[in-house]
Amino acid sequence: MPEIGGGSPAQRDPGSFRDPSGFVFTRDGSILRQINESFAAGWDDLAASGLLTTLQERGLLIGHTPAPIEDAALPEQAYAVIRPERIDFVSYPFEWSFGMLRDAALVTLEAQSVAHQAGFVLRDATAYNVQFQRGRPILIDTLSFERGVPGAPWIAYRQFCEHFLAPLALMAHRDIRLGMLQRDFVDGIPLDLAARLLPGRTRWNLGLGAHIHVHARAQARFADRGTEAATASRKTSVSPLRQRALIDSLQRTIRKLDWTPEGTEWADYADHTSYSEDATAVKDGLVRRFLAAAGGNVVWDMGANTGRFSRIAAELGRRVVAWDVDPAATERHYRLIRRDGAEGILPLVLDLANPSPGLGWSGEERRSLEGRANADVVLALALVHHLAIGRNVPLERIAALFARLAPGLVIEFVPKEDPMVRKLLATREDVFPDYTIDGFRAAFGELFEVAEEAPVTGTDRVLFRMTRPITTT
Amino acid sequence: MDHLVAYIDPGSGSLIIQAVIASIVAIPFFFREQIGRLLRAIRRRDDGLGTEANRTPDRSS
Repeated sequence: MPEIGGGSPAQRDPGSFRDPSGFVFTRDGSILRQINESFAAGWDDLAASGLLTTLQERGLLIGHTPAPIEDAALPEQAYAVIRPERIDFVSYPFEWSFGMLRDAALVTLEAQSVAHQAGFVLRDATAYNVQFQRGRPILIDTLSFERGVPGAPWIAYRQFCEHFLAPLALMAHRDIRLGMLQRDFVDGIPLDLAARLLPGRTRWNLGLGAHIHVHARAQARFADRGTEAATASRKTSVSPLRQRALIDSLQRTIRKLDWTPEGTEWADYADHTSYSEDATAVKDGLVRRFLAAAGGNVVWDMGANTGRFSRIAAELGRRVVAWDVDPAATERHYRLIRRDGAEGILPLVLDLANPSPGLGWSGEERRSLEGRANADVVLALALVHHLAIGRNVPLERIAALFARLAPGLVIEFVPKEDPMVRKLLATREDVFPDYTIDGFRAAFGELFEVAEEAPVTGTDRVLFRMTRPITTT
Repeated sequence: MDHLVAYIDPGSGSLIIQAVIASIVAIPFFFREQIGRLLRAIRRRDDGLGTEANRTPDRSS
């Protein structure tokens, strides 16, 4: 197709359709946001106010530059086009650790606070409008600010409670694993459900009592009153002082929620491995050498734990997405990153045996794990035995998954003689006759070529660097 | 309210209860703000006095 005018065709982001004031699309690999004619006055007002600049300078909102109007995806509706700074990797709230969701909540409240002071309002408080960029949460929806109506209540209050407060309270007060509820309830956890699941004592907690329990009852109470309640709510007025007090109350409630990892399976795994110090040093050196040889820009560290090897990849200048099944390990990893200011690593929670699916409308609004695959190299250390023996996944299938995720692979084979594997096999029958180094070579050899390999001295393990041959189909 | 591009359903119950909750939490919030303001004012005054005290002859000798 000849390239005329706007160049290659625009592709609308399948997750950007709810807001009538604009939408996100890609063209020529660039991410762009169209502002619709219907929001023209709002956009001019916002641009002239200086609020966006203030938010951007304070690191609360993603930066953007103007783009030519000719780039619009739907020119007949377009008023303006902007080019937002690109997010390295789009992650979702159910993949964040507790501390990450908490920080995202505080950034959202801070943005509403700054907007309110400027006479504006954050009209959309979905957790999906926050992304992690260079180790910190940041709002990505430039169009979610609008001139506030004096005395109007905060329109996104309910959404904030459902998207942030409810999951955080459930994780802190009931069980950290309830964070996964966010995967089913993509529009936020219903407050009546949160109220039922939370321990009864949280009713006497001022913040949670008000913003979740009383809030949930009010919703139920006014739910069947239809237009009568709608009229009453339209008359509701909240003074600026009360508005500030409400945000302050939410901030205090969120800050008081805490969860410190302990007792979950791998939280202190790094300190209790089967490795001696010498073997650890050997492995560090090998991983560094293999990763350097593998090249690329993006490494996905699968089973990253608290990020020992993610840091090695980051030191080599790679951007790292560090996945782990354990929310405690991911939380610790996140805290380490915040402490050290390591910007190139994004720690996330994922069960590789049940990865993030496509979610929302048509299963396309939030993309699946494989739909977001952007890695050049997959790093899989001390992982294959957990999948093969712990979860009964045949080695061929593990190889096939890694081949779909990235063209490069640095992987450690952990044989049955290894103390960790013995531990896995201690309580169950050994139904894994093919789980041998030869079986491993055969399974991975179907899809990868071994570029180099080396034993991890002091252990029975072997480290491999593999590449997926370029197919000519 | 009507001027906003309210594409998110704010929920009638949520808006009504928000007004109630905001009114209640505004009371301690107001006092905290006033106390904070007062403390800052006192600290400023004390700092001011402290600077003057430093200038007294017996201190500088």
